[in-house]
Amino acid sequence: MLKSWKLKEIVLMSLFGVVFGIVYLLFIHLGNIWAGLIGPIAYEWMFGIWFIVSIICMHIIRKPGAALIPETMAAIIEVMLGNAVGPRLILSGIVQGLGAEAAFTVTRYRHFNIFVFMLAGIGAAVFSFIYGYFVSGYAALDPGFVALMFTLRVLSGAIIAGIGGKYIGDALLATGSLRGYAIARTQPRDANA
Amino acid sequence: MRNLLHDMNPSIKFITVTIVMLGLAFFFNPWTPLLFFFSILVLQLVFSRINWKIWSLFMLPFVIGAFGYLWTTIVFGAETGGTVIWSLFGFDVTDEQLALALSLSFRVLAFSSLSLLFALTTDPVKFVMSLMQQLKLSPKLAYGVLVGYQFLPVLKDEFFQIQQAHRLRGAAVEKFWWQRVLGVRRVIIPMLAGAVRKAERSAFAMEARGFTGEMRKEFFRPVSIKAKDYALSAAILVIFISTSFLGSILSN
Repeated sequence: MLKSWKLKEIVLMSLFGVVFGIVYLLFIHLGNIWAGLIGPIAYEWMFGIWFIVSIICMHIIRKPGAALIPETMAAIIEVMLGNAVGPRLILSGIVQGLGAEAAFTVTRYRHFNIFVFMLAGIGAAVFSFIYGYFVSGYAALDPGFVALMFTLRVLSGAIIAGIGGKYIGDALLATGSLRGYAIARTQPRDANA
Repeated sequence: MRNLLHDMNPSIKFITVTIVMLGLAFFFNPWTPLLFFFSILVLQLVFSRINWKIWSLFMLPFVIGAFGYLWTTIVFGAETGGTVIWSLFGFDVTDEQLALALSLSFRVLAFSSLSLLFALTTDPVKFVMSLMQQLKLSPKLAYGVLVGYQFLPVLKDEFFQIQQAHRLRGAAVEKFWWQRVLGVRRVIIPMLAGAVRKAERSAFAMEARGFTGEMRKEFFRPVSIKAKDYALSAAILVIFISTSFLGSILSN
């Protein structure tokens, strides 16, 4: 799978992983303080933030794996920076990355418009919720409350990760630094499609 | 003796910690995670020389988060039955509900202690080297991650530069913390654009020096697996198994 990858694309994903690894860690800590007040539902509405690097990198690179690998790299870097969520972050990074990747696989890596990105955000949300249901023991909560958490997470995945990810990718394209990546090779009309 | 956890093979440590965390997720009694939490503390006291001040600093937000779990599980918990212990603001709290809530919040603490055991005793670069040598992570990805990691201080400087440039031009008046959170957008685009350029430059530099990303047999800094790595991993698993038995007995 890695044969077709250029080194600069991999280093790009890693550097994005560093930037977003820091952002992710910041929000974990913000979320924790929040969660002390209103419980685990505090994380749900901002969960999309943790999926965003998949969508930005897929928007730029457009190759199979461009959603899974950066999310995993960001998780490895989060672990390297040291934190109290720990090594299982790598596992949740892989799960979230797979969720986003699934949406692009279903559309066969042909369409990169806002709907596919939102679908990828939703995919990451669904995958991560199934994983979280098990690890955090949501089975102990009232089904109605769990349904509310799930809805919030899906919405957050679609809006923050899907729309936000596309917005950041487009803004980066406008800076002109992305010449030489797949995103710049598409027609301007396609980029806004 | 007190270096044992620091010298442990990072991949073995990583796998052990992950297995135990997933295992802990099967237990819904309060005693297992609580006993496990204290056992891990003892293990760290004996086999590592970590800075406990840093440990407490990392732990604090998770203690707060655990409290959130406690009360939401009491209020929004699934119907479990059991006898009512007390009533508060119209909520009837049963003993089973309380046990469940305590178990979920102790789980947060147990997870955090285990994570800190990993985080505070593992050298980040050695961890990636070990992932490549023992778990066969592709060198392209491994060295890619290391390049990103090395850029961390540069990115930090850049962050402050961009922020100061904004202030100098009067672009950002941030009075409240939420304005600063929303202002991230203004900082993140230039940072990412800089990251793209750095990635390109360092990738060219690596290729110019003959980096192909092919799997190797020999390494400049080999990370090995020794018998004591398996012994420590077994010790952590034994702690997990014994606390899970003890916890199940105690809660009945």
